[in-house]
Amino acid sequence: MSLEGFQVLISNRDYLFHGLLVTLEVSVLGIALATLIGTVIGILRTYGGPVLAALLSVYVDVFRSIPLLVILVWLFFVPPLLAGVTLSPFPTAVVGLGLHSGAYMAEIVRGGLGSVRAGQTRAALALGMTRWQAIRRIVLPQALIRMLPPIGSLFAVTIKDSALAGVIAVEELLRQSQVLASQTFRPFEIFTVVMIAYFLVIYPVARGVDYIYRRLAALGSS
Amino acid sequence: MSYQFDWSVIPENWELFWEGAQMTVYLTVMTMALALVGGLVLALLRLSPSRPVRDATTAFVELFRATPLLLQLYWFFYVLPATFGVGLSPELSALVGLTLNVSAFNSETFRAGIVSIRSGQVDAGLALGMTRAQVMRRVVLPQAVWRVLPPLASTWVSLFKDTSLVSTIAVADLSYNALLVRTRSYRVLEVLTALALMYLVLAYPQAKLTDWLYRTFRVEE
Repeated sequence: MSLEGFQVLISNRDYLFHGLLVTLEVSVLGIALATLIGTVIGILRTYGGPVLAALLSVYVDVFRSIPLLVILVWLFFVPPLLAGVTLSPFPTAVVGLGLHSGAYMAEIVRGGLGSVRAGQTRAALALGMTRWQAIRRIVLPQALIRMLPPIGSLFAVTIKDSALAGVIAVEELLRQSQVLASQTFRPFEIFTVVMIAYFLVIYPVARGVDYIYRRLAALGSS
Repeated sequence: MSYQFDWSVIPENWELFWEGAQMTVYLTVMTMALALVGGLVLALLRLSPSRPVRDATTAFVELFRATPLLLQLYWFFYVLPATFGVGLSPELSALVGLTLNVSAFNSETFRAGIVSIRSGQVDAGLALGMTRAQVMRRVVLPQAVWRVLPPLASTWVSLFKDTSLVSTIAVADLSYNALLVRTRSYRVLEVLTALALMYLVLAYPQAKLTDWLYRTFRVEE
């Protein structure tokens, strides 16, 4: 890395740091929305009966089959035309990210709930618990631990996907770095440092969840 | 407010959509073909007896798995020519970036598949007088192949969708051509909706096939 490139990074650190903050904000809110959507839909698909399950599977299949880029561009440009509703880039990115990752989260939740043997639910019902109590107190705690590894991957994927928000003009880290690289003609220094920054955010998330899982794995086995 | 729909823009530009879709499929097939080889090489390097080789391979794999694909594409597209004087065409940049990224993911899939074969089988092979390479080729890999099929299919579907990112470095894939039609025609709603539906129609059967593979090749020991 040349001295000149280093100076470019130093003098524009606030600009890049702003991008990092926006990346973290979009990611955290996107993950929160995806978790909410995924949990509700995963539970409803498992316990909500065949009609609801079929309807919700349409949502899951649609959002698993369309690229996030297309979802984001669609959400940004079409609602204003169709309904006159204009969302600014930031909330559009959060909604798009949440809907996309939410479909995957729903599959993770459904898989986790389905992995807890049916005998446990029957035993809980036999002990006089209501159906909701059995889900909340017997099935969910065990399923949650088993779901941790795929959840860790999904969180990492969601943070990586937040880089696409730049396409609809959200000032996240990748967009900031691209603007800076084209202005300063120092793509090597800027993109390399930004790559390290992403790595330092994403790698600990993936590994951290794995670590928690290894500590708790025994509690989730039955 | 009522919007005047005009879907004729889709058939009128059918040629562009069709060519874009071909590029999308081409990139997916080429990338996966190269990344199957790349992933296997990386997986074997990570199981190498030499520690520096293992560590270097691990660093490579983790870097590519823990950074955004879009950034990797930018790196190959913008950094190589500016810093190293190597100017790749947009298509080649896309292919290189996608292949390295998917190779890293495939290597993890292969490694998991290989280590999932119980070590007793390797010991038995060695005890029968096979070399380590023979055990790998004749005992471990034939079994691992079936176990890695479902996660490979998942990666395939992700890859198919991720090829849309190459539109940002001017590769004329389905997304790029659709966005071009949008800009030319101003029929934003129709073009973007048609684009989403085209991806849905193309990717949905792939996603369902993947689900089927998971059900069919579930490991039960």
